Amino acid sequence: MLDATWLKRLGRRMAASLFCLATFAGSYAAHAQDLYGPLAKSPRTGGTLTMGSLLEPPGLDPFHQGADARIRVTVLMYQGLFYESPNGDATPLLAESYTLSPNKLDYTIKLRKGVKFHTGQTMTAKDVAYSYNHIRDPKNGSPGAGDFGMVTAVTVVDDHTVKITLSEPNVTLPLTLGNKYGAVIPAGYFDAPDAKTKLNQVSVGTGPFKLAEFKPNSNLLLARNADYWEKGAPYLDQINFIFLPNSASMLVALTNKRVDLAALTRPQDVRQVERVPGLKIERWPSLNQKALDLGSEYGPLSNVGVRQAIALAVDKDEIMRASIGGFGQTIGTMVAAMQDRWGVPVTDLPNQKLDIVKAKKLLADAGHPNGLDLNLTTIIGYDWMDPAAVTLREQLAKAGIRLNIQRIDLGVWIKNFQSKQMGLTFNDWATQPDPSLLFYRHFHMTPKGADFRNWKNEAASKLLGDGRAESDPAKRKEIYARFQKELATTVPTIMLFSADHVTVRSDKVQNYVQHPTGWFYGLARTYLAQ
Amino acid sequence: MTTIVHPSAKLQVSPVGLMQRLKREPDLVIGIVLLVAVAMVALFPSLFAGQSPLSINIDKALEPPSAAHLFGTDDVGRDVFARVIHGARVTLSICAGALIISAIAGGGLGLISGFAGGRGDLLLGRVVDVILSFPPVILGIMVTGILGPKTINLVFALATVYMPVFFRIARSGALSEVGQTYVEAARSIGLAEHRILFRHVLRNVMPLILVQYVILFPLVLQIQAALGFLGLGVQPPTPDWGAILQQSKDYIVLAPWMSAFPGLAILVSALALMLVGRALQRRLDRR
Amino acid sequence: MALYLVKRLAAAAVTAILASLIVFVLVRSVPGDVVAQMLGQTSDPTAERALREFFGLDRPMYRQYLNWLSSVLAGDLGVSWTRGHPVWQMIRDALFVTLQVGFMTLLVGTLVGVPLGVIAGIYEGRWLDRFIQSFNLIGLAAPVFWVGLMLLVGVSSLFGWSPPLLYVPPSQSLSENLAILALPIVSLGLLQAAAYSQFVRQNVVSAFHQDYVRTAIAKGVPTRIVFFRHILRNIGIPLVTFMGLILIQILGGTVIIESLFALPGLGRLLLSSIEARDYPVLQGGLLVVVLIAMTVNLAVDLLYRVIDPRVRLT
Repeated sequence: MLDATWLKRLGRRMAASLFCLATFAGSYAAHAQDLYGPLAKSPRTGGTLTMGSLLEPPGLDPFHQGADARIRVTVLMYQGLFYESPNGDATPLLAESYTLSPNKLDYTIKLRKGVKFHTGQTMTAKDVAYSYNHIRDPKNGSPGAGDFGMVTAVTVVDDHTVKITLSEPNVTLPLTLGNKYGAVIPAGYFDAPDAKTKLNQVSVGTGPFKLAEFKPNSNLLLARNADYWEKGAPYLDQINFIFLPNSASMLVALTNKRVDLAALTRPQDVRQVERVPGLKIERWPSLNQKALDLGSEYGPLSNVGVRQAIALAVDKDEIMRASIGGFGQTIGTMVAAMQDRWGVPVTDLPNQKLDIVKAKKLLADAGHPNGLDLNLTTIIGYDWMDPAAVTLREQLAKAGIRLNIQRIDLGVWIKNFQSKQMGLTFNDWATQPDPSLLFYRHFHMTPKGADFRNWKNEAASKLLGDGRAESDPAKRKEIYARFQKELATTVPTIMLFSADHVTVRSDKVQNYVQHPTGWFYGLARTYLAQ
Repeated sequence: MTTIVHPSAKLQVSPVGLMQRLKREPDLVIGIVLLVAVAMVALFPSLFAGQSPLSINIDKALEPPSAAHLFGTDDVGRDVFARVIHGARVTLSICAGALIISAIAGGGLGLISGFAGGRGDLLLGRVVDVILSFPPVILGIMVTGILGPKTINLVFALATVYMPVFFRIARSGALSEVGQTYVEAARSIGLAEHRILFRHVLRNVMPLILVQYVILFPLVLQIQAALGFLGLGVQPPTPDWGAILQQSKDYIVLAPWMSAFPGLAILVSALALMLVGRALQRRLDRR
Repeated sequence: MALYLVKRLAAAAVTAILASLIVFVLVRSVPGDVVAQMLGQTSDPTAERALREFFGLDRPMYRQYLNWLSSVLAGDLGVSWTRGHPVWQMIRDALFVTLQVGFMTLLVGTLVGVPLGVIAGIYEGRWLDRFIQSFNLIGLAAPVFWVGLMLLVGVSSLFGWSPPLLYVPPSQSLSENLAILALPIVSLGLLQAAAYSQFVRQNVVSAFHQDYVRTAIAKGVPTRIVFFRHILRNIGIPLVTFMGLILIQILGGTVIIESLFALPGLGRLLLSSIEARDYPVLQGGLLVVVLIAMTVNLAVDLLYRVIDPRVRLT
């Protein structure tokens, strides 16, 4: 672990990863039409894949899932009308095609035929209408209700056609009809009183796998859906997710081939299995961001000068190296996997470069000539936040800002978040591949958006509204470019970096492509070589 | 006539030479030596550790032990030796503080409860039974969750876990004193209840509490380390042995030194306390 | 005796109710609830209200307590809010794992610790005794999770072996079951052996110092006979009660070991239900643990009274 060799290896790794990124970016483009991942040329069907996971889904109800990182598995059992293609297109999934009315308010969607639920019954428009009406009614308690706010009606046209009516034009509707919240389930399912919790034992979706067994603190077993509508898929007979309590157990399990595949939540753990023979390590771009949020309701942060000063004192690269060993990319105002299509080049954004002198001046102008004290909140269980916090503390100290680190429980953090009392905190969240889905709810003023950071920026809100309705891609890109500049100028949040998804697999695992959302779509196209 | 034994009498070391003490009770001598060493480190960390436990140097992360860094560096490049040395004060003061609060609150309540008796004593006794039946680590986790993530709350959480033990000890001590003739005699001459309690009964129960304090210390140390290991320790970047173990467990294959040394520190401190505690218990039993 | 037993059982029943109240208050005092976890970073007041209503979280605290208490008394511990499994089933499965670890650790600890303690006691003061005592003290002082962690990684690096990941009960596959439990039992067992060894040693030593034993030895009775006839009989009962106390410790003390070795035991269940704010599981689990501990305490207490009729405090 001496400096020179370590750095050299790091350099070589980065070059290798860039190469990987390039090839994968290419393959994403080539296989944009392949659902869930590239079709395998000569797959071998059968077998059980054992996958190690540090995160256990708190539940398997696609209608009541909040925490981002835990949705990963449900997408294999439940499907919405569209699939979030890695490049940002909404590819028809349970839908077959759709037409948009001239006034852009009515989507008429033709449904795929011959789709069966895990219960055996065939899917019709009635089921689709029931499912989406269930999500969008807030009384049913689905966190997705907010995203469907612009939908006024979901109606059955005939057995294989539904119509969705909006209150105003919104080009993100197809992606919203994707797999993040909810899915298509049999009509009337939630009428039974124990329906919600029963989903943890029996699945009722249309996806390539069904739920075989879910043992808390132990494992989650999925079995192939023999009636799946796409012939020939999936390849595996079973997938067994084993919940491991910590990285040490995971790495030991990988080294001794107790698990075949693992998605490392701490990318730097990769270094501990690098030299193990028979293991392949792969890095994938992600739609995830680690950010520093600055809630304007928190005393000194109400002054934009203070927020800008903080931005000028942050060294994103150093934080990234400290928290994930550099296995990611620093970002400006756009997540890494969407930078090419939507992101403003970092060099064109203000407040991105270190400038301690200017930071101090801004603080003085804001009334803090002798620096100031701030509380930084981090979340227990999010490993990257601890080294990031101590590194940030050292960095801000140079500008005269003294940070007091407070680690809090996730439940408490969520409460603060929901009541818009975030203060100065680290955040970790992922998006679907569309800028409106990324920005609108978080940054648009109330009542249309949630504006969690109390930014209250009218100009930005107008841009977000326009961007959501604009269908011309070039014009959309320009609108979001202006929005990103506003974001970088008045700093309601500092987007630090996107951590790569790092997967480790044994030789026999073939054709697993990690989706940039972090969800395990790719398992539907994975097979085991002999 | 019961002689009222003052605590100082119990701890008097009889005038035997060091070599003879070493022969008779080697474990006590070793224990005291270790304890003094640990106390020195806790009180004067800068004498022992040259480097800062807080300064980060990412380029030098995860280096194995060397001349420059006796215990190697951690994942953000901090000197592990310095962190362990400075951590002594943090960890030991949390444990010492928690036990003092425990002893005063629990012991005090137990003393009063045992002395006064009655319904209150019965109810309190039952509540204590229940709390004693809770798994200590789980209780610690919940109380920290309720109170919040500050270090002072960790102290309170640990105190809560051991209050029932002191309660029991003090109560049974008080009960056995209540039956003694001197209490009856004091009452017959009209001495006020609280005076009897604090002047005389307390003095006799005090040695029990003191010995229990020393005996429980290594246990508190382990529970505190366990809570730190689960992420409920001190707030970063303050060094604390349990917290260091929590950070280091994820690097165990790459950098085992990060875990080995804090663990050893806990072992040595607990050992020292145990040796001294057992010797004190022996003296108490002989009384 | 019978009257005393009835009185004790009545008191125990009252204490059990008190225990349920304390458990409930403690659990509900932790801020945040399952709804916040489920909704995550989305905030929708109507959704939140609907979910809280579904879980009964909108009713006043005393109502929720009474509802829970009455169903518990009727034998129904409820259904997990996050998993949907019946709470009793989850606790039972987890308890089985924890008890299995506990008993096997007890076995290892006894098999290793008791003989060591006896040897140390017999050779009191000599080199062997001091050696064993050092081992005991180090075992008592070492933090359990540190030992477990070092063992896990050490075995993996040296032998290229790590335990299988999915717990299977011994009825399904004894070899697999033992493979999974080997490392945790070795780490916990060795540390417990230290405790037993020390305890047994103390008792053997003090037994040897008893007048009647010294008399027997002075009269010329071979040490071997003295040992088996008198000393072993006398340490038998304290040892059993000591083990009872250790058992209670095991119930809660396995949290760390289970977290480290991925065992689906009660400690891990409680830990994950705290994190998820899954009240039925947490309340039910804690109540079960507390009641078991209290029962063992009661049993130990009664055992003392039966053995030693001199002990008769009101």
